[in-house]
Amino acid sequence: MLDHELAAFIESPVMQIIGTADADRRPEVGRGVGAWPLDGRRIALVVSAWQWPGTIANLRANGMVAVTFSRPADYVTYQIKGKAEVRDAAADEIDRSERYMVAMVSALMRLGLAPEIIAPWLSHRDARLVTIDVASVYVQTPGAKAGSKLRSVST
Amino acid sequence: MTITLRDLEACFEGVIPSIIATADAEGVPNISYLSHVSMVDDEHVALSNQFFAKTAANIRLNPKATLVVVDGLTGAQFRLQLAFAYTLEDGALFDRLAQEVAAGGAQVGLSDVMRLRCVDVFRVVAIEAVPSPVEAVDAPRRPRPDRLFAAENIVAAVAAAADAGGVVDALLEGISAHLGFGHAMLFQSYGEKAQITAIGSTGYVPSGIGAEVPFGEGLIGSAAASGRTVKVSDMSRIRRFGSAVRHSSPDENRTREIVLPGMADAMSQIAVPLLVQGHVEGVLFVESDRRLAFTREDEAALAIVARQAAVSLALCERMSFDPEAALPAHTVPVADGSRVDVAHHPFDDSVFINGDYVIKGVAGRLLVHMLHHYLEGGRREFTNREIRLDTSLRLPDYKDNLETRLLLLRRRLDEKHLPIRLLQLGRGKIGLAVEGEVRLTRR
Repeated sequence: MLDHELAAFIESPVMQIIGTADADRRPEVGRGVGAWPLDGRRIALVVSAWQWPGTIANLRANGMVAVTFSRPADYVTYQIKGKAEVRDAAADEIDRSERYMVAMVSALMRLGLAPEIIAPWLSHRDARLVTIDVASVYVQTPGAKAGSKLRSVST
Repeated sequence: MTITLRDLEACFEGVIPSIIATADAEGVPNISYLSHVSMVDDEHVALSNQFFAKTAANIRLNPKATLVVVDGLTGAQFRLQLAFAYTLEDGALFDRLAQEVAAGGAQVGLSDVMRLRCVDVFRVVAIEAVPSPVEAVDAPRRPRPDRLFAAENIVAAVAAAADAGGVVDALLEGISAHLGFGHAMLFQSYGEKAQITAIGSTGYVPSGIGAEVPFGEGLIGSAAASGRTVKVSDMSRIRRFGSAVRHSSPDENRTREIVLPGMADAMSQIAVPLLVQGHVEGVLFVESDRRLAFTREDEAALAIVARQAAVSLALCERMSFDPEAALPAHTVPVADGSRVDVAHHPFDDSVFINGDYVIKGVAGRLLVHMLHHYLEGGRREFTNREIRLDTSLRLPDYKDNLETRLLLLRRRLDEKHLPIRLLQLGRGKIGLAVEGEVRLTRR
């Protein structure tokens, strides 16, 4: 599912946004603050339960998740979908999230964004670790191929 | 405190991408960045969905969506619960959004792939602030002038002006004094070519008066071609509008092109068309070194003053048919013996004075025409009426815009400190001032 290139991309300073839905199919938006591959088909993602309580509640309720990873410098974007499990993040996972946040702020500042504008987006307060079993991967880079499926478990 | 859509204006500038979550009929979520969100009215937003077929399909199966928008000044995030209302494929709102999407696309360097297919309009069910790990920053919001009073002051000065030069100066000086924008240019359309020409400017050295912008080129040409206001709010991440080529070839004596000036550190730009009876008569361009410098109220104020300027310029044009009694001409020091070489190139009607490029086209013909009469009969006063009647000038029949052409010529001669100048002697009357002995040659 996750080739070497995609695994490296997910771990690099890319913006991470999370889609979930509740039992009434009401969708919810959240942000991730650090992600890394666990093995060939699972990834880990740190999410603040304080900032994004609806996202964590939906993940606990049904586990359905979509995560989009987007590189701000060139808009290269992938979306993964799968099933998620949630637990409290461990200290080393919070450290890893911290390093991601530093790298992300640096990357955005290189694009001309002021750090005080970025600060409201990145928090790991009440950090949870979301483990996602990836079922499919889509290209979402703006352009003709946007939305096309790259890989899925069934293929 | 209840948050309303109007409070979120700085979120709809396309500076920071918005995020939309949808879910399909089975509740499988989808999450996507969105290039453009617009406020339709107090209860509706419109989302341009150029690429993401999944989002578009989901909302048709499950009309609930959640949107996160970001304030471009503070970074503050807001969560909007949406209900899909309707889709637009044409009409005034669609056209406005298509224009905003095109400008926004250029803003993030995606103009090539941004083409609006349809617009999905959503009812906003609820708005709430997303918790922020940092204290909200209130500081950078600068105090803004009351735009209604500012517009009233500028309109009053523009309406009081009695000639084209007065109108242009009142407009640009007013925008600087009352709206606080110190860099502005006014462009006039002359109809005979698909381009507009700068007839006034403030804040730039050199002024750029006489610079031409083709329809459709950059922000200014885009406003001229479309008849709609075009704006960018954060240029920190973009290639600048207007080509670098222009700036690298400033030798107008060789190119016969007057260079369009620009702020090196511009962050926000806006181009407002001058519309009179449905025709684009020109464009007002303003730029600023601040991000998100132009609010909706600034846009409205600039549109009001631009329209007044366009009407006043048209009125000046009509009034100049009937010259008032001439004011006494300035006594001009005649022939101090120095020679003034005027070269006229008939193929493009370009005129050079002592080797300096002045102007080309109709304005060039006008100058040569007056110089001929000066050399043949010593005339130094002319009326707009006789110039219009002189068929040898080949003025375009349809609204010749003589007033602003003469203004452009006058300002060019002044800016270049040339020994030949034009004087406004009163309504519809022009004086020619010559220092030295003129030699006119055709090349």
